[in-house]
Amino acid sequence: MADLITINVDGKDVQVPPKIQLIEALRQYAKVETPAFCYHPDLSVAGNCRVCLVEFSGPRGFAFGIACHMQTAPGLTVRTQISSDKVKWARRGVMESLLVNHPLDCPICDKAGECTLQENYMNSGRHESRLPDEAGKQYKGGADHRFTDAKGVDRGGKKIDLGPTILLDQERCIVCSRCVRFMDEVAKSSQLGIAGRGDHAYITTFPGKPLTHGYDLNVTDICPVGALTGKHFRFQQRVWTLKSVESIDPSDAFGANITIEYNNGRVWRLMPRRNPAVNKSWIANSTRLLYQKLAIDRLTDARVASKDVDLASGVLAAQAAISSARKVALVASGHGTIEDNAALLALKDTLGDKAEVFGGSWLSVCKPDGIALSGDPVANRAGLALLGIPDNLDQLAARAGEFDTVLVFNHDLWAADATKAAKLEAIPTRIVLASWLDATVAKATVAVGIRAWAEIRGSMVNSQDRVQLMQAGPVVPNPALEPPWRVLACLAGATWASETDAFKAAQSRAPRLANLSYRTIGPMGAVLPQPALAAAGA
Amino acid sequence: MSLFGFPQPKAWKGKDLPRVLSRLFDVKDGHTLAVARQHSAYSTLSKVLFDRAPFQIINEVMDSGLRGRGGAGFPTGMKWSFVPRGGAKPVYLVINADEGEPGTFKDRMCMMRDPHLLIEGMINTGYALGVRTAYIYVRGEMLPQIQALNHAIKEAYDAGFLGENIAGSRYSLDIYVHRGAGAYICGEETGLINSLEGFKGQPRLKPPFPAISGAFAAPTVVNNVETIMAVPWILTHGAKAYRQWGTDKSPGSKLFSISGDIAKPGVYEVPLAMPYMEFFELCGGLKGDLLGCIPGGSSAPVLTAEETAKTTMDYESLAAMKSMLGSGAVTPFNTTRDPVLLLQSIARFYAHESCGQCTPCREGTGYVDRVIDSLVDGHGRAGDADLIKSLADQYEPMTTICAFGPGAAWPVQSFVTKFKSHFEAYIQRNPKHAEARDLVAVRPGAFW
Repeated sequence: MADLITINVDGKDVQVPPKIQLIEALRQYAKVETPAFCYHPDLSVAGNCRVCLVEFSGPRGFAFGIACHMQTAPGLTVRTQISSDKVKWARRGVMESLLVNHPLDCPICDKAGECTLQENYMNSGRHESRLPDEAGKQYKGGADHRFTDAKGVDRGGKKIDLGPTILLDQERCIVCSRCVRFMDEVAKSSQLGIAGRGDHAYITTFPGKPLTHGYDLNVTDICPVGALTGKHFRFQQRVWTLKSVESIDPSDAFGANITIEYNNGRVWRLMPRRNPAVNKSWIANSTRLLYQKLAIDRLTDARVASKDVDLASGVLAAQAAISSARKVALVASGHGTIEDNAALLALKDTLGDKAEVFGGSWLSVCKPDGIALSGDPVANRAGLALLGIPDNLDQLAARAGEFDTVLVFNHDLWAADATKAAKLEAIPTRIVLASWLDATVAKATVAVGIRAWAEIRGSMVNSQDRVQLMQAGPVVPNPALEPPWRVLACLAGATWASETDAFKAAQSRAPRLANLSYRTIGPMGAVLPQPALAAAGA
Repeated sequence: MSLFGFPQPKAWKGKDLPRVLSRLFDVKDGHTLAVARQHSAYSTLSKVLFDRAPFQIINEVMDSGLRGRGGAGFPTGMKWSFVPRGGAKPVYLVINADEGEPGTFKDRMCMMRDPHLLIEGMINTGYALGVRTAYIYVRGEMLPQIQALNHAIKEAYDAGFLGENIAGSRYSLDIYVHRGAGAYICGEETGLINSLEGFKGQPRLKPPFPAISGAFAAPTVVNNVETIMAVPWILTHGAKAYRQWGTDKSPGSKLFSISGDIAKPGVYEVPLAMPYMEFFELCGGLKGDLLGCIPGGSSAPVLTAEETAKTTMDYESLAAMKSMLGSGAVTPFNTTRDPVLLLQSIARFYAHESCGQCTPCREGTGYVDRVIDSLVDGHGRAGDADLIKSLADQYEPMTTICAFGPGAAWPVQSFVTKFKSHFEAYIQRNPKHAEARDLVAVRPGAFW
């Protein structure tokens, strides 16, 4: 960490790191709220919205400059809206300019409630329009981006289909260029651009080409207004009615940080949660749309010998099967949390020599995409290694004849590799704990429903050796469903009251987790100490 | 043949007029190398250039007080001195020939009539700055000028004045002509560089300035055509001789392109600090009674007749009148003209040409344009003149990336202030002019 330097903000000296963007220094260190539309911490600086402008001391006295482009340097003297009426005046002018051609349709705008323009108008605009009716607005868009409204006025398009995932409202665009920069710099596929000049400049794709990219829905998050909206969430919910919990991507070992947004018994969307060390501000479309599976094809009760039973009967049947078994194969799951797998290990301890733990996955691994996917669909693979669970699933297939019972949780073996999994059908008793009615449940003799990833609390270790937390959203298709660790702990006869107990059990098995707790991991996760250091600390 | 005011008078009031830049303007076939060489083109290459060290050239130009002729008037020698020397990256020289300021037509004349002087000036400048590759960025519409330049460059290559080892020296220079696509903003130096690199012509955030990181992220000097064309004369005759004209801070001669209500519109080379009224006489006299004058291209704040009468054509005198010399486009207009319609036309231009980056300019120029239109259409209400001015105020004080914002605001502010009665007359045409609109001005106090 470089030494701090002193800058002067509104007459007060503030200690800030050198050579960071002034807007970050103002927001984080000087605690001065500084609005911005075009600035985004994970994109290049465009400096075109001008709303972050401040006065700074130069060779010829105080002059306007923008806080997003200026970097902190010793002796920098800045006046913000707090001490300068000129800054207030100029910012209000920017707000008036932004709004002059922006429709006043907040009540029907999907972005209302999380719109930067709306927020900044309430903070620093609050003016009433000076636009004479006769002068009219300038509506944006080329010939294919326009329509004629009921009054016969030629207007910018309200519902332009940019591609399979996104719709564009041309009228609302404030040309901040964030989406263009995202596609250029992060997605590295320059599919969006700004055509035209002046107040008739507008966002567009290449003629006839759609916007299609595995990350393109991120532009709907960074759009500061309601111009770009995702088809999956558009007009589904008013955002201010949504509650949220912090979680991580359960579908990939990168562990992109996300927020689960829900209300009224349903998850409505997943949003990226900024973590500069992991996924920055981005998640893949595949991650974002995971929520759509949460309410469909769920295993909400239990099945014993192809008959639906209640969950308690299912657990009892599983318990009976295990206790009468001669030799049990316990299959750990890289899709489950550390807590779940710790419970599996506790079950192994209870059963003693008659049980054996197998780990690993039959899913194939691709290359990382460099944004928010590692290519490894086994989200907690590193967590299994941490707990000392071997990567030996092929051995289980080879030695299937040795076992008379197998227990699988949260692990769709038959979907991953049906040929290898078919060998497990030699094992007469197949106990499956699963959230969905998947291919493995179809092969189960005893199937018990468990909570899915969005409904449990726990931790996972990502591909960068960072342990991260998932928090449970309260939306569960059947309130009687339990998280996998609780079912497994019940089978093991362990009396764990909460995830914390399960985590403590995991800590006793994994020295590198020893000095951590849910509190120290926190929403941003924590990098695991190196094995040698952990040993020394323990 | 009287094209663009030439032949112009050789002398005025008993004194010879300077012919620094316009030497070949009225010489037949002056654009060809053969004729140009008869008039001592490329004479600097043997005598005065390669015998001197580059820093001596820079010092000579600095001593001459030559200022950028594109509009901003930045001292040329100082601009050159910012360029780092001996770095790992090449230094580029880019000639700004994207002449687009309404009323300005001097550079096209230069390129048409004396392209070899531009090339010679580029060799001089290139040698001083260690440039190996130079570009001439020409406005796309200027097709004859582009042809003239390409022809001249070919002639110069054939004669050994360009390419490897120019005129037997160890200095080499290549020149490329780059045709723009006709956007006013590409005359802004970083917008020009973006366009040269193949990007959209939008100005860049500064710093870094082009002298440190310009074209292709290398140190770059961007100079106007006319500026560079003055260099050979300065090197031949010396800085002191150049200072025989003009004032201490605005020395030398300048091309002025005059149009509007004048008897002989055209391009004239005159010493700086000539009074405007005298200049009008030189150009054959005004037509009608002077109402006002745009002194330096459409973005320069307009002067009233009284102000014009007491102003001289140099940077300081115009700065004292809160206007600017700009590109040297002088547009006097008489009492038969309507300042409101003049401003409408200017505001339309800036609304059309705003590059679309910065909010205040992007939205503000169009806003002003539409309010003026509604006023001209007879929808004006009391207070509209102040509304127009206060809207322009919002993009005037460098709240934008480049100087387009201020340049677009100055004519609006000055026209509305100085010809307010004309605007009020338009407002009076609306029978409902005294009624307030159903909207309220900015509510005071409701802020943070």
